[in-house]
Amino acid sequence: MLRLIIVRLLAAVPVLFVVSLVSFGLTLLVPGDIASEMAGPTATAADVARVRAELGLNQPPLERMVQWYGGVLRGNLGRSILLNQSVGQAVLERLPVTLSLTLMGLGIACLIGIPAGLLAAAKARRWPDQVTMAGAMLGLSLPDFWLGLLLIYVFGVLLHWLPTGGFVAPGTDLLGWLRSIALPAASLALTQLGPIARMTRSAALEVASSDFIRTARAKGLAEPRVYARHVLAGSMVPILTVVGIGFGLSLGGALVVEQVFSLPGVGRLVIGAVLRRDWPVIQGGLLLTTCIFVLVNLVVDLLYLWVDPRLRENA
Amino acid sequence: MRLFARRNFLIGAILVGLVLAAALLAGWIAPFDPVKNNFRNRLGAPDDIYLLGTDRFGRDVLSRILHGAQVSLRIGLAVAVLSGVMGGIIGLVCGWWRGIDAWLMRVMDGLMAFPGLLLAIALAATLGPSESTVMIALTVAYTPRTARVMRGAVLVARAQDYVEAARSVGVRTARLLWRHVVPACTAPLVVQQTYVFAIAILAEAVLSFVGVGPPPPQPTLGAIIADGRDNMVEAPWIALSPGVVIAMLVLGLNLLGDGLRDALDPRMRRIMR
Repeated sequence: MLRLIIVRLLAAVPVLFVVSLVSFGLTLLVPGDIASEMAGPTATAADVARVRAELGLNQPPLERMVQWYGGVLRGNLGRSILLNQSVGQAVLERLPVTLSLTLMGLGIACLIGIPAGLLAAAKARRWPDQVTMAGAMLGLSLPDFWLGLLLIYVFGVLLHWLPTGGFVAPGTDLLGWLRSIALPAASLALTQLGPIARMTRSAALEVASSDFIRTARAKGLAEPRVYARHVLAGSMVPILTVVGIGFGLSLGGALVVEQVFSLPGVGRLVIGAVLRRDWPVIQGGLLLTTCIFVLVNLVVDLLYLWVDPRLRENA
Repeated sequence: MRLFARRNFLIGAILVGLVLAAALLAGWIAPFDPVKNNFRNRLGAPDDIYLLGTDRFGRDVLSRILHGAQVSLRIGLAVAVLSGVMGGIIGLVCGWWRGIDAWLMRVMDGLMAFPGLLLAIALAATLGPSESTVMIALTVAYTPRTARVMRGAVLVARAQDYVEAARSVGVRTARLLWRHVVPACTAPLVVQQTYVFAIAILAEAVLSFVGVGPPPPQPTLGAIIADGRDNMVEAPWIALSPGVVIAMLVLGLNLLGDGLRDALDPRMRRIMR
């Protein structure tokens, strides 16, 4: 077990190396002069020179890369040009919003998607199956940011039930927080429901034809219980896989949905930085978000072993 | 064709066909100039002249959507083809030459580790906003997935007896790959690229929505939604109607992909996901 964790951790090293290389390399791809672009159209030659020196752009790329890596390895991602804040601090400050949104969206998607998939499998090729799968397919095909706008229109503008945007910290007002995050989480959940329900269905169908399910039925277990306990347990590995992939997709989706609902998360930070050419924030934001992504995949890998004891023996 | 007998495939073909026809004919059937302002008719509600109303510059929303769909389809197709070729070659190389595999797939894993959208947004912003930039950014973001699928298919093919047999009678590698391995891998590749087509259309909409897509006044579906966002209360039709077109396209392509997958090879499910 411990050996496996170490092997997986080591496998993440080259991945993170490529990720950091790309994050750094972005600035080398910029056509034109970054310093004069960032200093703004009204900047004097002295301003541009100052920005250039501040960013270390007057050094050769290799030198800059060594310095950047030196900083990254010591946990220093540089300073934001516009926020007067270190990049690490800026990202970490906004991370709870993004992560809570992602987890809540994914949580709702699991709570609805897994039972829906089991139901579809239990009633395979009859109407509950067809309705669920058609719904799953539709959800999969809707753009989440557009769904967010649709929800804003229905629940905010027409019905006045929920706020149309803005964020309330859970510390100051728990109910207000739930209200502010309900619509964004719902729009994320709706797009993640589809893959989860589909995967649950196909895994459950495969498990449902195995011997131990026949035994469970033979000993007189009621059908709902067969599915809720035995089929679900047997289908956990593929479900976990799709939830793990879903985490990454939701994280990406959350970054955009934040933009729609004006939530102060990492997405707004990075997209704001992209539009205003705040390079250190773009690089750092990309690197940190991706590290979280890699970490989650690692955790999912290890969860397999916990869920399916058969896999432990080969490990 | 037997394919069209399948209900899902048929629905998918109809959805994509409708949008494709409308987009291709946009130049003729669009009732107005998509970029011409008309300040006397700002935020007009849908009526029998402006079927989907007008935006805050008085531009006809329907005409903008038709032209926007053209951009979406063009970018989606370009990304599907480009990442299909690149991913196909990388996957073939990795699946056949195991020595290269270890290195090249690590690079692909690294690229795949990024949330695809975020990488595409950063790349598009870096290279400067334009249609070709979006194509490049999305191709970089989605090639690794295709490479992975292709590699899987090549690994399956190279273990087949007929490939082994051809190899043992001394068929040269280039011919072996081209005549025996690649044909066995085209089906999964084509199916995968249908999904990439769909994903690329969604992603292009996101890129345009956040402001790193083709620059204005070029109408794109995502940019129309972003425009309409500020007028959600007075003029919800601006932001809401392009989404329906995106959903039609993406749903249609997904259904086509599923139909192709089931028709070409039911066993493919295992390599695809």
